[in-house]
Amino acid sequence: MKPILLGAVAYDAKVVPIWEGIREHFREQGVPLDFALFSNYERQVDSLLKGHIDIAWNTPLAHVRAQKFSEGRTLSLGMRDSDRDFTARIVVRTDAGIASPKALEGRRLAVGSHDSVQARILPLHWLHAQGVDIGKVNLVQFDSDLGKHGDTGRSELEVLQALAQGQADAGIAGDLVWAQETAAGRVDGSKIRSLTGTAPFDHCMFDGRPGLEADRADAFQKALFAMKWEDPKHRRILEMEGLRQWMPARESGYQDLIAALDRTGEW
Amino acid sequence: MVGAVLTGKLNLGTGLLARIRPLLDRMPEGAVLAVLSDNPEVRDDLPAWCRLERHGYGGVERDAQGLDRHLIVRGPHPRWNRSLEDLTNWPARVEASTGLAPRGAWAETGSPASPFSALDRDQVSPEDGARLYAQGAQSQWNVETDIPWARAAELSPELESAVSQIFSFLAENELAALYVPSRFIARIPPAYVETAQALALQLADEARHIEAFLRRARLRGGPAPLSTVPTAASLLTLFESEDFTESTFLLSVLGEGTFLDLLSFVERHAPDPITAEIARRAKLDETRHVHFGLAHVARALRSDSTLFSRLEAAVRRRALALSGAVVPGPVQDALTVLAAGSTEPGALARGHDAFRSLLEVMRENRVKRLRHAGFSDEQAAILSDLHTPNFM
Repeated sequence: MKPILLGAVAYDAKVVPIWEGIREHFREQGVPLDFALFSNYERQVDSLLKGHIDIAWNTPLAHVRAQKFSEGRTLSLGMRDSDRDFTARIVVRTDAGIASPKALEGRRLAVGSHDSVQARILPLHWLHAQGVDIGKVNLVQFDSDLGKHGDTGRSELEVLQALAQGQADAGIAGDLVWAQETAAGRVDGSKIRSLTGTAPFDHCMFDGRPGLEADRADAFQKALFAMKWEDPKHRRILEMEGLRQWMPARESGYQDLIAALDRTGEW
Repeated sequence: MVGAVLTGKLNLGTGLLARIRPLLDRMPEGAVLAVLSDNPEVRDDLPAWCRLERHGYGGVERDAQGLDRHLIVRGPHPRWNRSLEDLTNWPARVEASTGLAPRGAWAETGSPASPFSALDRDQVSPEDGARLYAQGAQSQWNVETDIPWARAAELSPELESAVSQIFSFLAENELAALYVPSRFIARIPPAYVETAQALALQLADEARHIEAFLRRARLRGGPAPLSTVPTAASLLTLFESEDFTESTFLLSVLGEGTFLDLLSFVERHAPDPITAEIARRAKLDETRHVHFGLAHVARALRSDSTLFSRLEAAVRRRALALSGAVVPGPVQDALTVLAAGSTEPGALARGHDAFRSLLEVMRENRVKRLRHAGFSDEQAAILSDLHTPNFM
């Protein structure tokens, strides 16, 4: 079989060992695979749609864009367990006296990067749906790592830090970043608490290029789903990539994102 | 199975996990924990944490007391390997994936493979390593304070030179006894740690002996002692064995066993109390090492019918490498002068007899030790005769 060329965005140095490890696993499974690293998702989606790569490991924003720009001809091939039922948390300083989303109007809300689905796009859309006038909220913006679609998690940590330092009254972070930082004792629970969370949405997706041969897509999925948390070699890779188990693709979790982009026109 | 736990006002950022995680850790997958909370914010944070940890979040309802009753369905992680759970007994085999987990613990599955290679109990016996370790720990002594250095005697230059030569030779042998077992400590998994601990104390013993021997060797100056090629060649062959049992046999049973008789000889003929006390104390330590070696080899012989031929082959390989060797000249002469107590010809003749008797005693005792380890009379005689003339 012709090797599968997979694209991934190099959002961190660990991306190299992740994909080298996955490539080695695929080799053991008899599925030749190589990877190409991109510096941003816009270039990666463009390359996928031009057929320069076979599969892209895409953020939700890149996923829905690839679908839209290809008029629905990309193939959704799989996702992480952690990509399902993602939520964003609206967190507040306990001394800010903010008891409801509506009370964010006139206050400082720290948000993540412009292209971060979990730290900006969807939570602002969700707040809008709750009746909050986003125009009246003073957004404190952390636009770090643009082009990486919030992958680095850096802007979310910057949001939490801004809250801790009193530079904002409220902030937004993905639920896993929030739970992880809080559970690890890196958030002072007496000063910062969760106010509410958005409706669940789904996160990253492996997108196959339009016209990807069925046998290659099948081989990719079979090898991918053969990775096991209980295998120490796989576990290291899965830990770095933030999952315990690869899951089949599903489309139900992207409707809010599509609606948000339709509303703001930020396609 | 449903357990329940009261968590009051605690939330994720204020200590909730310390109450629920220890319970979840020990619950089987699929078991349900009810978290009774008096903090409405837990409704926001607990589902996120469950998603992070891959536990199922089964929802929340208000109970009769007005508390939130959250249900957590224990997920598949972490999984525990309980093969080391028995604190007292050694497992027959150790799984490399248990990493550095000590005996008595549950080890999370999926650990990187440990570098330990001695994963079978029979490779690592004796199991009474704990007792040997305890004995060794109680028997540590101090070179500075336990040797009567103040009681140095004025010896003739020839006798002093002989003592110096003997102790330098002893130190050379103990250096091998320091290096060789150290290579095996890192191969022994934590499940059999008593053996590693016993070996570590052996190394401490050797370090102390080296200190005492060299201090005695150079106590009164005199000519530098000689280090010969036969001694180096003999000791360096000990470094070649990659098998723990084989190495223990060569070093502790044959080598250190023979060393016991040598130290007895030095103690008996010691010309001063310093020499006598060093030899006496070193011999007590070496007796423990020999006991360890005998117990290890005896057990391995019982479980492995091919072991005798492997050990014989190892001894033969070593004998071949050292073929034609005799007791190194400087050592033989020094032992003769030591036993003579002077260089007067009649005394030297007696000293030479004493040296020849030493070789005979060494052979007899070696055969006894080999039979004690489980070899037949014939096997013991073969192995003893093949042993290096360098003593160790």
